[in-house]
Amino acid sequence: MDNMPIMDAIDPELVERLAARNTDIQRGGGARPGVVAMLALGSVPIALAALSKDAYGQGVSTTIKNVLDFALALEIFENEFYKAVLGRSNSAAQNAAFAPVRALATAVPGAVNTLDQIQKHEQAHVATLLASGATNVFGLTEASFDFTGNRSATGGGPFAKATTDLAFLLEVAQGAEDTGVRAYKGQAANLMTNSAVLEAALRIHSVEARHASRIRRMRRAAAGAPVSVRYSGTVRGGDATAAGATDLGTNAAAVTAAFNKIYGAGANATTAPSESNTTHAGVNVATLSGAAFGIDAAQEAFDEPLDRADVVAIVQPFFIPTIS
Amino acid sequence: MSLEKRTVVVDRAETLFQTSSRRNFLRVMGMGGALVLLPSVFAACDSDNDTGTGPSGSTTYTLDLSNDTGILNYAYALEQLEAAYYTAAIASAGFAALSANEQEVLADLQKHEVIHREFFKTVLGSSAIPTINFNTTTVGTLTANRTVLLSTSQLLEDTGVSAYNGAGKYLTSAANLLVAGKIVSVEARHAAAIRDIRDTTGRLFAGDDVVNAAGLDVKAEPGTVGAAVNSLNVINGTIAIGTQPDVNKKTADATAPTPT
Repeated sequence: MDNMPIMDAIDPELVERLAARNTDIQRGGGARPGVVAMLALGSVPIALAALSKDAYGQGVSTTIKNVLDFALALEIFENEFYKAVLGRSNSAAQNAAFAPVRALATAVPGAVNTLDQIQKHEQAHVATLLASGATNVFGLTEASFDFTGNRSATGGGPFAKATTDLAFLLEVAQGAEDTGVRAYKGQAANLMTNSAVLEAALRIHSVEARHASRIRRMRRAAAGAPVSVRYSGTVRGGDATAAGATDLGTNAAAVTAAFNKIYGAGANATTAPSESNTTHAGVNVATLSGAAFGIDAAQEAFDEPLDRADVVAIVQPFFIPTIS
Repeated sequence: MSLEKRTVVVDRAETLFQTSSRRNFLRVMGMGGALVLLPSVFAACDSDNDTGTGPSGSTTYTLDLSNDTGILNYAYALEQLEAAYYTAAIASAGFAALSANEQEVLADLQKHEVIHREFFKTVLGSSAIPTINFNTTTVGTLTANRTVLLSTSQLLEDTGVSAYNGAGKYLTSAANLLVAGKIVSVEARHAAAIRDIRDTTGRLFAGDDVVNAAGLDVKAEPGTVGAAVNSLNVINGTIAIGTQPDVNKKTADATAPTPT
């Protein structure tokens, strides 16, 4: 079949040998020596592929595979974005485009390390999803993206400033991470029939939230971001306000519209409320008698999901091929 | 109950579900024993009631994790802990030693965790476990200075993330899973913020100690989390699990190390 490129690339005998004691991991026995050995050798994809045979089983339902495929597209996007920022893309043009902002990042203590740590995670998420049964259904490569948001190989979109301005780059990165958090949150219910896949998705979801938090803190510490960009890394407000963006580049209307989608309500405001929402399970947490802290804290205390179509609408401008 | 500490080695978690061995286990363990093997196993004497009087005369807060109400009560217990801790923290000597930017973080966390606590209390209504009684002396020790305040905060937030990540699979209602998802990402933001305060490398917010080579964050089974919470010694009593969650969904733990 076409759905396990990593598995196909591995000697079947090796995989079979590695997967020989597949009940151990399911029962909580920890990683087998074969997996540990592969990790020690630095062969993460092989180790993951072997691990996945144990943890996720041989196949997943169509519903779950659709979620995994979608998640993979988002993770490839994020991975390629950070690779370009760090000068690691297979696209020399992308590396060259981000060279100015890369030089600015090196002057900020910890900034390059943070971007490196995030990129490492996105790359690992790609490998984990592939090993879990996801397929690159849109045929994405480093050439599939226009990080300026113009769906063009020659760029020219409203986010071009991210290649030359560190504050703007971090605004965009924050938006990408928060979109990821909302996307995984919105898909969790679709994974409930497979507890192993659900748990893996939840564990990716919280990593994306950690990323978003750190980027918010970097932006606030750089003294450019408003107080609404909390040092606690949480999201205050909804729509573009929640981005706390102070620089909207050369096409402010388009960037504002993008942030409205990232932090606002989706097409279905019931299933995908704005980040400003304070009512959860029928309880308005802004009016709890034992927690009268006002609207800001109530908004920050809960994050909101987005539906798949909402996420597609946000990220499509950065994908040259059409996704769905 | 004797205070003598003993170690019990159990080869399979299921063994503890057999009444005889479970009673034997509890008799030997008391409150201070150690369990070797699966880190997620701990149990209580009284599975029928939400509270009871434990061997030392303190309260036992028992969770029935066989259904969504129990899992939400588990979350409620953790949010009670976090809310109580940060409420003490923002009035502590440790807090006074923080910079204004750092105080903003702790003040935000206190509000968010109290909101989470009151949210679960409201949602659970008459099904909620009682209000947990915390030991002001031991909580005070954990807020006494900047170092212990931040390391304890990191431990609590990473534990919260690991607990929600490990418990989501036990929820049977999509609505409840969504609520848990709305909260866990906020806990992860908190964890990253506290870690970032303590960091000099730019990597600790999602450090290799919590995010593994597969890019997966921490997760822990309820038993592991309960044991970790009890070991903090901040509760006047013990959190216990009366009925375990679905054993078929159980996975290996990936817990955060104790901050140094």
